[in-house]
Amino acid sequence: MASSKHRLAIRSKLTLSAFGFASLFVFHPILCAQTEPATELHASTHPSSLPDAPTPQAPQQKPADSAPSLADLGLTNKADPDLQARLDRRSHMLKVHQQLGLYTTVPILAACISGAGAVPDRNSYGNTTSRDVHVGIAALAIGMYAGTALYAIRAPRISKEPVRGGIKIHKYLIWIHAPGMILTPILGTMAFNDIASGHKPTGIAQYHQEVALTTAIAYGASIIAVSWPIHIPGMHRNSAIPAEAQ
Amino acid sequence: MKCLLTFLLLAAPIAVSAQSPPDRIWSLDQSTLTYHMSHPLHEVDGVSHAARGKGVCHLGVCEFLLAAPVKSFDSGDTNRDLHMLQVTRGAEFPLVTVRLRLPETALANPNLDCDLEVQFAGNTAHYSHVIFHQTITGDRHHITGTVPSTLTDFKIDPPSFFTVPIKNEIPVRVDMTWH
Repeated sequence: MASSKHRLAIRSKLTLSAFGFASLFVFHPILCAQTEPATELHASTHPSSLPDAPTPQAPQQKPADSAPSLADLGLTNKADPDLQARLDRRSHMLKVHQQLGLYTTVPILAACISGAGAVPDRNSYGNTTSRDVHVGIAALAIGMYAGTALYAIRAPRISKEPVRGGIKIHKYLIWIHAPGMILTPILGTMAFNDIASGHKPTGIAQYHQEVALTTAIAYGASIIAVSWPIHIPGMHRNSAIPAEAQ
Repeated sequence: MKCLLTFLLLAAPIAVSAQSPPDRIWSLDQSTLTYHMSHPLHEVDGVSHAARGKGVCHLGVCEFLLAAPVKSFDSGDTNRDLHMLQVTRGAEFPLVTVRLRLPETALANPNLDCDLEVQFAGNTAHYSHVIFHQTITGDRHHITGTVPSTLTDFKIDPPSFFTVPIKNEIPVRVDMTWH
């Protein structure tokens, strides 16, 4: 009796374990046919039991579980909104700097032209009209130049790395046209006073025109430098991209 | 007997999966990604060697992922690169990623016909049938090709220079070696 009970117990255990064992296999095909969100769940809970279903070859489907991730590459896609805000502000300010800088070329050019007519002839030192016009235009040029410079100075610095490219020469040329923009009106005022006193400019005032021209040339070169190298349409240029792809 | 049959039936899927080929992992050895930008006054190439990539082959299908930091592209002008970073929202979306899926058998072909999923600047674009040329030397696969990307694909406002916007086409030349 005891023996039959023991045999029954063993059979029950075997049956139960067979069901448990079978249940694993019964669910296996279901696992294979599961949709992606479900497999993602399995991937997160039991990485070793990933379904082996072949990935559909239709293009542009969601990556399968076996697909490599950014973490596999040691990369993260972490956003930096603060940096983006600074980049936006920088670009906006430099755009204004660029536009205002271009507009400033007009009064600078006009000041150079009017300056040529502002030089008094002998015995006509009393005629101040041409000099007044020149002073007015030059004042406008200097004001616009100051505004242009302000936008560049106030633009946020993003990188402390040394600058490369045309911007490098653009920045070097500041050392010529910025002092020139300060010195030119000082020399101009001195020259104006000399002429108003009835004699030709003397001392450093006599170099007003040369300093102004140097400043204007450096300013123009600065605009070209930041645009360098300029591509002239129609001219051949080697490119890393094959022509058919462009 | 019934138990045995049941066991065999239930164990069949295990046997099938046991016959599947083992996974194959692909690694990116070196890469050069070059975008080309056109403007009436400028022709610019921006180059990155910082891409990382991995491919996983499983049951005859290979999944590849290629990613490069946006800020790693160097056009030779720091000012332009920072502006590019701003325009492409490179601080918000610091990576450009490319995913593709290929049958493992296709990896031996000299030409790879790929359907690409490119994520860039917070947008995803799909490019179908992009052909890459492949040279196989030993276990090294040297792959070259061009992704015909455009600014509008990623909803990027074209930056302008002297008030003239750049061209919409920004093809990206790919030159990489996998093993």
